[in-house]
Amino acid sequence: MMASKGIEDIDIRMPKDAYDTGNDTPTFNAYLTIVVRDSEGKVVKVHRQRSRSPTANFILFMLPITYFTNTNSSVTIENTGGSTNSYRPGVSSSSAAIAYPNSANNYPTYLLMIQVGSGTQSNPYNAHSLASPIANGSGAGQLVYGQPSIPSNITVSGSSAYFTISQAFNNNSGSTITITEVGIIVNIQAVCAYASSQINFGSVLMWYDTLSSSISVANGGSVTIYYTFTVNP
Amino acid sequence: MVTPDLVSEEDIAKLTIPDDLPDEPSFKAYIEAKVYDNEGHLVRYHRQPMKSLTEYFLGIISILTIGTYQNASTNQAQGILVNLLGLPSQQSTYSQALANISWDWTIQLGSGTQSFSPSLTTLAAPIASGTAAGQLLYGNESVSYAGSSIYVSLQVTNNNSSAVSVTEIGLQGTIYIQYYTSGNAYTHASYSFLLSYDTFSTPVTVPGYGMAVFQITLTFTG
Repeated sequence: MMASKGIEDIDIRMPKDAYDTGNDTPTFNAYLTIVVRDSEGKVVKVHRQRSRSPTANFILFMLPITYFTNTNSSVTIENTGGSTNSYRPGVSSSSAAIAYPNSANNYPTYLLMIQVGSGTQSNPYNAHSLASPIANGSGAGQLVYGQPSIPSNITVSGSSAYFTISQAFNNNSGSTITITEVGIIVNIQAVCAYASSQINFGSVLMWYDTLSSSISVANGGSVTIYYTFTVNP
Repeated sequence: MVTPDLVSEEDIAKLTIPDDLPDEPSFKAYIEAKVYDNEGHLVRYHRQPMKSLTEYFLGIISILTIGTYQNASTNQAQGILVNLLGLPSQQSTYSQALANISWDWTIQLGSGTQSFSPSLTTLAAPIASGTAAGQLLYGNESVSYAGSSIYVSLQVTNNNSSAVSVTEIGLQGTIYIQYYTSGNAYTHASYSFLLSYDTFSTPVTVPGYGMAVFQITLTFTG
């Protein structure tokens, strides 16, 4: 039997609830919350917006094995430095996939940082780095990066579940710093189980947002950035 | 030195779970079904929003946003993988070998219904793959992507004269940890979960000797 007839053959009415009205209950959401403090630690601004933008790197790493098996192909990952590597996971001793902690050797894949920047770019999907990253330091135009905070589990409330990662930044630069873009950068390494090959993708931008309004951090002040990923909010 | 957080946990929770943002959602997902009769004529097209991702979907998201290790120098898995997905904090492996993680997705169909819970791991009444009455023969699955959308589709055939009614659908995820045993033998451990669970707004009936194609579309709006 063949499915030889197309959709145009019969009068098909799409259910009203399937039209893209924008009123659907989203099943997954990401939020960006930014808390700004002055030099005395007092909260002076809270900014929040929907976070919209997994990068192409994120989508490619998310693909299941079936994609690679059926297409007999790999995908190309581009890191923040512009270097590219191929990725093709599979279930075999020779397939290189994201490294997992083990008792033998350490090839860590970990959250490197939430990075902030002072630029913008119009196509977040194709971004492989921030447009103008703010360097870690106390020099002019720099912010002191804290360590990322990672939860040990998700939080469940009824049908909803979420987790939040965060990172704090201090401004010791001597003048106000303005943030206009934010990204999540993960250091990624892929290995095959037999250890015959390792791929160091390096720093990979996985998520990127331009801010709906810029954030100014006064000298001596700080800013904490929260990314929340939630299902069924 | 980074200034310590001066906002209480309760305040942070209020800040980080906003539900009043009026703009467009950042993610949309749809379920589609095309049903064909025994002559290959399309007899029904059904499309509905997917509404119910499970907590295990967040497990996949966490790998891509947090990674698998706690940090650069700690050879231990990040907590969500251990506490949510039940993966080992450290995979024991042969001394010269390594371990890695990958995943696959499959569409599962069922004939039951159940209340949604973010911790669901199986359908209420999965329809087995086969040719007996009440069964559907699961064909090849395909996965593709375009921009920020990922498409997963499955073709099933009803090789029996009795119609089969599909009332529930789930996207099942299987995570593989590949490693070498202490005896230097390749193996992998698998962990399966439901990434999504939905009931159809109206049952999708696959007629006797007919077939159907089910597709799940995940779109990050970007």
